[in-house]
Amino acid sequence: MIMDKDEIKSRIKHVIGQVLEKEESDIADDANFVFDLGASSMQSLQLIAAFEEEFSIEMEQEKAMEVQTVAGAVDFVSTYLI
Amino acid sequence: MDTRSCLLTPRFTIHRNNLEKLFYPRSVAVVGTNNIKGTVPYDILFNILKAEFRGILFPVSPGEKSICSVRAYKYVIDIDHPVDLAILVFPAQVCHLAMEQCGQKGIKAVVIISAGFKETGEKGWEREMQLREIAVKYDMSFIGPNCLGVINTDPAVNLNASFARRMPEEGSIGFLSQSGALCTAVLDYARAKHIGFSKFISFGNKADISEIDLLYYLKDDEKTKVILLYLEEVSDGQGLMQAAQDIIVDTGKPILILKSGRTEAGATAAASHTGSLAGSDEICNAAFRQAGIIRCGNIEEMFNIAIAFAYQPLPKSGRIAIVTNAGGPGVLTTDAAIMEGLELASFNEETTQLYKKYLPATANIKNPVDVIGDAKADRYNLAISGAICDPGVDGIFVILTPQSMTNIDAIANEIVQVTNGYNKPVYASFMGEADVRSGVDILQRNKIPHYILPESMCRSFARVYRFGSERHERNTKPKDFKDVNKEAARAVLLDSLNQGLTFLSEDKAVKVLGAYHLPVLQGKIATTPAQAMALAAEIGFPVAMKVLSDEIFHKSDIKGVVLNVTNVGEADKAFRAIIHQASALMPNARIRGVYITRMVNSGQEVILGIKRDPSFGAVIMFGLGGIFVELYRDVSFGVAPVNESLAESMIHGTKAYGLLNGARGTTKFDTTGIKTCIMRLSQLAVDLPQIKELDINPLIVLQEGSGCFVADAKIVLG
Repeated sequence: MIMDKDEIKSRIKHVIGQVLEKEESDIADDANFVFDLGASSMQSLQLIAAFEEEFSIEMEQEKAMEVQTVAGAVDFVSTYLI
Repeated sequence: MDTRSCLLTPRFTIHRNNLEKLFYPRSVAVVGTNNIKGTVPYDILFNILKAEFRGILFPVSPGEKSICSVRAYKYVIDIDHPVDLAILVFPAQVCHLAMEQCGQKGIKAVVIISAGFKETGEKGWEREMQLREIAVKYDMSFIGPNCLGVINTDPAVNLNASFARRMPEEGSIGFLSQSGALCTAVLDYARAKHIGFSKFISFGNKADISEIDLLYYLKDDEKTKVILLYLEEVSDGQGLMQAAQDIIVDTGKPILILKSGRTEAGATAAASHTGSLAGSDEICNAAFRQAGIIRCGNIEEMFNIAIAFAYQPLPKSGRIAIVTNAGGPGVLTTDAAIMEGLELASFNEETTQLYKKYLPATANIKNPVDVIGDAKADRYNLAISGAICDPGVDGIFVILTPQSMTNIDAIANEIVQVTNGYNKPVYASFMGEADVRSGVDILQRNKIPHYILPESMCRSFARVYRFGSERHERNTKPKDFKDVNKEAARAVLLDSLNQGLTFLSEDKAVKVLGAYHLPVLQGKIATTPAQAMALAAEIGFPVAMKVLSDEIFHKSDIKGVVLNVTNVGEADKAFRAIIHQASALMPNARIRGVYITRMVNSGQEVILGIKRDPSFGAVIMFGLGGIFVELYRDVSFGVAPVNESLAESMIHGTKAYGLLNGARGTTKFDTTGIKTCIMRLSQLAVDLPQIKELDINPLIVLQEGSGCFVADAKIVLG
């Protein structure tokens, strides 16, 4: 599947908004899930699962856990799609 | 570390300024808190509120508008008020972001509760270093990471910035712990016994503020009388010793340490006897004793001693009076007291008459005073009053056993009343468990140290008494021998190191020791049998002959040593045998000849040594020498520099001292000579860091006044 980064970013923000109950417009491109968006450790895991479901991919858990920001998530998910 | 040099480092000075904000903040931000009950980020905030913190509290949580009905801020920099202290409870991955903002906000004191740092591996260690860099950049100080938090019971602040279940009672004990989990156990233990704390600090990974910084803070803390420290590793032994000495000498506050890792196999593969005998725990013991630190074996012992210090004055002597309502326990207590080096006081005439007049005829009016099983509070009152007023008594042990007519609570209250206002220590032991519980509770609430076992009571009293009596002996300077030739010794060592050698052959070791006026036997080197015969005759029989090579360390193992050579014929034979053995067993070793020295046959063999400890630095060892050294392990240690009184106590601290001091009318040996050797060796160890390990084994000690001789020496370079 080929997808451009803007689309990936848009869908990632949508997922984050749903999991963390945030307005998508409040989610900055460089926002840190924990530090800026207040994700708990459980929500961080939920985010990974939600990204996998959204993009129908299976991510490497250990590396996925290291992703801390929206921009980082876009880059990481992109590696599975582009 | 040079004396007090830690006080001059920039970080130490910054911590000194910032620690006041850490313990007495006017405002606290809990950064990374949340609304999920039962989690650390929530409990920290809740505990601060519950303890009725006297300042202003700011929750910082990117995901919440308010927590516990207190307005939350998204970022710490959003707070429109100065913040003195930040508690970081974010996950480790983002702590640096929060720390950076704390720096921008001008916060100087931070407690990092979060785990996931050094303790998890290299990545965690890097995170920890990152936090430290930020702290340095902004002149901040932080406790942790990976800790339980800090508690200050001072009513002026009421700070419980921890995830301990409860705020402890106010008290005069300062508690520092490397382990957070132990803290919660200690708090629970202390709560049951009404033991209060002044400050309670879990310092975790000590990435920035260390136990040494905290010790100096507690030194000046008016609320703290006794300092307890739980340590898992001593990372700066010299700094710890210096801090302890400064505290004890300047303030008289005792320091009690519970140090885990006693069973660690510290004596790893080592070349010398000293190396293998000086395990890290033995060195730790010696260093603590030297610094005046009281080392405790477990939590119970630690608090047994701590409450004695915290609740009662120091005893002026070891003369104690025992007041009991039962004969057996009185005898048990007497035995325990004597075993601990205490003595039973003799009552003066006035006390004796008082007891004679008012105690029953069946009572024992001599020490231990037995007020008899049917004693009520009034009889205890009389017996204690008599002892407390007797100038020959410097401490009182009150024993109670719960008999059917014993009014336990009334007696406990009477002890509290009658001892109030006297500057004489009173300890109690209400023996039993269930029946005496309420009486014990009365004693504990009223600061009478209580012990279930009289043995623990005697031991605690003895430790407190010894601390008081030894306090003024500390801090005497080591002797500086001006006659040493440091440069000559250094030249030998550097030359050998430049040649790639890892140890010194005997002739070179003799040069190094000789430069410090250690009593070496000057030898001569023979390279032929004829030369050996001539030199042996010149030195005078009997002689000792040893193989000389820069590549043979254990000379005896290859039969490279022949002792007690008594004539030229034997010298010839010995030379040939040594060369033959060495050539056969160490064919690649370059043999420089045979080293011949005078043989000293009469005297007592002892061992002296040096070892470098990674934490405490140069350590000097003394013990029974020769072939017995590793069999009996009768050795003592001192951290260099060793002063005269320490050198003396090192000698007295071994069983060998009995032999040296003429036990049962035998010869007295020259212990003054040993003492001088220990002090000279200490100076050598401090001056010459090129020496990794050193053995003088044996040092032959002649009879009193005749000196001693280094019969063999090994120096390992490193």
